[in-house]
Amino acid sequence: MQTLQALQEALDPRLFWEYRSILLKGLLYNVLIFALAALGATVIGFFVGTARLSSSRPARMFASAYTEFFRNVPEYVLLVWIYYVMPVIVSKAFGTRIAFDPVPVAIATLAITYSGYLSETFRAGILAVPRSNIDAGMSVGMSRWLILKRIILPQAIRRMLPESINQYVSLFKSTSFVSLISIEDIMYRVSMITIQEARPLPLYTWAALVFCAIIIAGTQVAQRLSDSWRRRGWA
Amino acid sequence: MIENFSRIVLANSYLLFSGLLTTLQVCAAGFLFGIVFGLAACLIRLYVPILRYVAIAYVEFCRSTPMVVQLLWVNYVWPDMFGFPRTVVGAGIIALGLQSSGYLAETFRSGIEGMVSGQREAAMALGMSPSQTMRRITMPQVTLDMAPSLINQLAVIIKSSTLISVIAVPDLMFQALRLVDRSLEPIEILSTTALLYIAVIFAISFSAKKVADRFRSKYGLAIPH
Repeated sequence: MQTLQALQEALDPRLFWEYRSILLKGLLYNVLIFALAALGATVIGFFVGTARLSSSRPARMFASAYTEFFRNVPEYVLLVWIYYVMPVIVSKAFGTRIAFDPVPVAIATLAITYSGYLSETFRAGILAVPRSNIDAGMSVGMSRWLILKRIILPQAIRRMLPESINQYVSLFKSTSFVSLISIEDIMYRVSMITIQEARPLPLYTWAALVFCAIIIAGTQVAQRLSDSWRRRGWA
Repeated sequence: MIENFSRIVLANSYLLFSGLLTTLQVCAAGFLFGIVFGLAACLIRLYVPILRYVAIAYVEFCRSTPMVVQLLWVNYVWPDMFGFPRTVVGAGIIALGLQSSGYLAETFRSGIEGMVSGQREAAMALGMSPSQTMRRITMPQVTLDMAPSLINQLAVIIKSSTLISVIAVPDLMFQALRLVDRSLEPIEILSTTALLYIAVIFAISFSAKKVADRFRSKYGLAIPH
């Protein structure tokens, strides 16, 4: 009986709905941080992923050390480290006192962590392009850059899309812990409202349901788009 | 730098190690929970048609909610709704277990579905019952095939477990942040903490790789990749 009552209370959307505009503003932070971090992670991941296939040994070694390191370090530890330790180091080095704004720190942390995962995806995508395609490009006199742009990347990107969608989904999920360095994202606001209203049941339950809905819907849309795009461009 | 290190980190190393121990215990318990519930969800999804959609909803929910959200949800909502968990450690274990059971269910499913159907048919032709086929033919191969992914999931759990400090589970991250608050020396403490985590996670991913290589060379794998 008590369980049923609690369940009813937890699923009551009114309180959550009452605070919709505040919560939506929080969600904007999540989306903004996600978008910029995804962009950064893709760019860095691309360079690191291609560096792992480069002919220069130092570049290969650096790139695989980078990938291994950032795939294995917990994001939250890295976030806290950059947020608390970096300002102290920089302050000591320049003899001034500075503090970092949490939003760029969060974006940089997520971009760096996910660039590790994405570089692996890029590498696998590029390796999956048949060697003969590259030879064919060379035999008609294309430059290395042109081969990359016209032959390797169009195929590699199509191959990596399904896997990279998973990475972007994880990245979006990870934006929920930026609240821990007091960025006013949706979870931060949910916690604040809970302190004020003292009704955690509906607030946390709906936060979980909303996140779940956003991620499932986003994944579906991304998969549909990528599937239709891949079919169109695929011989 | 080195003076600072011995003054701050070594003097408090027992705190960090007790935190690391808590992290490992909570992760082991969460991992076990994740395996049991993940396997149950996967088997229900594949073999119990009535409950199929319940299992799918469970898996999708676990996979699509972020760790922090699940953690706060379990910690603040579950005690009122289900009467447990009674402690923050329990909440941490359940949240880690929920999160990984979703992923593990998918891992198990791809293992079972990926198995060559000829093997199951052969078992049936010999007159084995479905449960015998499951126990003697399917599960041993799936376990063998999944072992590296299982170990990797443990590394993922340890990574996510850094977040349980938020609900005041006295794990490594919690102890480290408390030490930083007290001593105001973030460099040494947080760097040591980061290195401890990296060492543990590296060791686990490395052993996953070793296990995968060993299984491949020793048993060969019946499941085509």
